[in-house]
Amino acid sequence: MKKKDGLVLRDVCGEKVLVGEGLGAVDFGRLISLNETAAWVWEHLDETASIDSLAQALCQEYDVSPEVARQDVERLVGEWVEAGVVAQ
Amino acid sequence: MTTTRYYSVAHHVMALTAEEEVFSLLGNCDPFEVAPAEPLIALSIRSRVPLPEGWTEEWRQEEEGEEIVCGHVDGHPAFVFYSHGKRAGWAACSKDYRQVRVSLGDLPKLTLDNAMMISYALATASADTLLFHASVVNRDGKGYMFLGPSGTGKSTHTRLWLKYVQGSRLLNDDNPVVRIGEDGKATVYGSPWSGKTPCYVNEEFPLAALVRLEQAPYNAIQRMRPIEAYAALSSSVSGKRWDRSIADGLHHTLNALTAGTGVWQMECLPDEAAAQMTSSTI
Repeated sequence: MKKKDGLVLRDVCGEKVLVGEGLGAVDFGRLISLNETAAWVWEHLDETASIDSLAQALCQEYDVSPEVARQDVERLVGEWVEAGVVAQ
Repeated sequence: MTTTRYYSVAHHVMALTAEEEVFSLLGNCDPFEVAPAEPLIALSIRSRVPLPEGWTEEWRQEEEGEEIVCGHVDGHPAFVFYSHGKRAGWAACSKDYRQVRVSLGDLPKLTLDNAMMISYALATASADTLLFHASVVNRDGKGYMFLGPSGTGKSTHTRLWLKYVQGSRLLNDDNPVVRIGEDGKATVYGSPWSGKTPCYVNEEFPLAALVRLEQAPYNAIQRMRPIEAYAALSSSVSGKRWDRSIADGLHHTLNALTAGTGVWQMECLPDEAAAQMTSSTI
C-alpha cells in the first residue's frame, strides 16, 4: 500500500489529524481526523504493509482479537482509499 | 548609490538595500521605518538582473491573473512573479529565507511587495508569527479578524463594521500579522501590505476573535470546533508547507492560536444585520 505523498500526521489541539503539507498535497484542502487506533495504523502503513500484516501488528499492540483487528484495518484502509489518501 | 532602510513589522526588522529612487515605491513601508537595527531579514534590490542559470520550478499558484512560481536556483529557494503574463521580477533566498536577492523586472512595485511578504512569512514561520490573508478592524482596544477565500466578502464585512459598529476602525484589509506571546495570547499587527486598500497602520491590538465568513442567504454565527478552526485558519495563512521546518513552525503557531482565541463561522448577507450579529456575538 502507498500513502499519498505530502500528508503529515499532526496533533491539532489534542486530536490526531492528517494534513496536506507536501508538494503532492498542498491543494489537498481537507483535514482527516483519526482516532488513536487509526493514527497507529497510519503510522505503520508503508509500501510493504498489507491488510494482514497491519491486522497482525495491531493485535500485538492492542488487546484486540484477530477478527476485530482485521475488520478495523479493512474498514480504515477502505475509507482511506476512498478518500484518496492511500492507494492499494 | 544604494542606501539601506529598516522596517519593523510586528517587531521583526527587515533591512532593504536599494538605489534611492526605489524607496519612492515604498510609501506603504514609511509608517514602519525604524532606526538601523539588527535585521531578521535583509533584502538587496537590483534591477533587470537575468534569472540565474539553473532555475527549476517546483510549484505555482495563480490568483486573479497574478502568479507566484516557487522553485530553486542552485539549491536555494527562489520565486518568480508574474502578472497577467508579464514577468514582474524575481527573488532568490538563503535557505532560512533571511537573505534575499531581489531583481525588479517589468513590475517593480509588485515584485517588492511580493518579495517582502514571502520572505517575511517564511523567515518568521518558526518565530510564532503568521502572515494572514484577512481583513482586520480594531474597536475598544481589540482586534477582530475576518477570513475567507478571495471574493467571500471580507472587505465588505469590514466596511459594514466601519459604517454600523461604533468605534471600529480599519487596521489592515489584506495581510495583517498575528503573533503569539509567551503568555499564549495572540496580538494582531498592521503591516505595509494591505491589498487594494491603502491602509498601512503601524499599530497592534490584542486579538479578540477570528471570523471565517461564508456567503449565505441569511445571517448565522457559531463557534467552530478546534479542528474546523485550525483548518480555517490554516488556509488563510501564507506559507510554503512542503518545507518541513516552515510547516512545523506554522503548525505550532496555529495550534496555539486555535487553543487560545475564539474562532467563529459566520454565514452572512452583505448587510447591516450581519455586522450587528458578529459585533454583538464575538
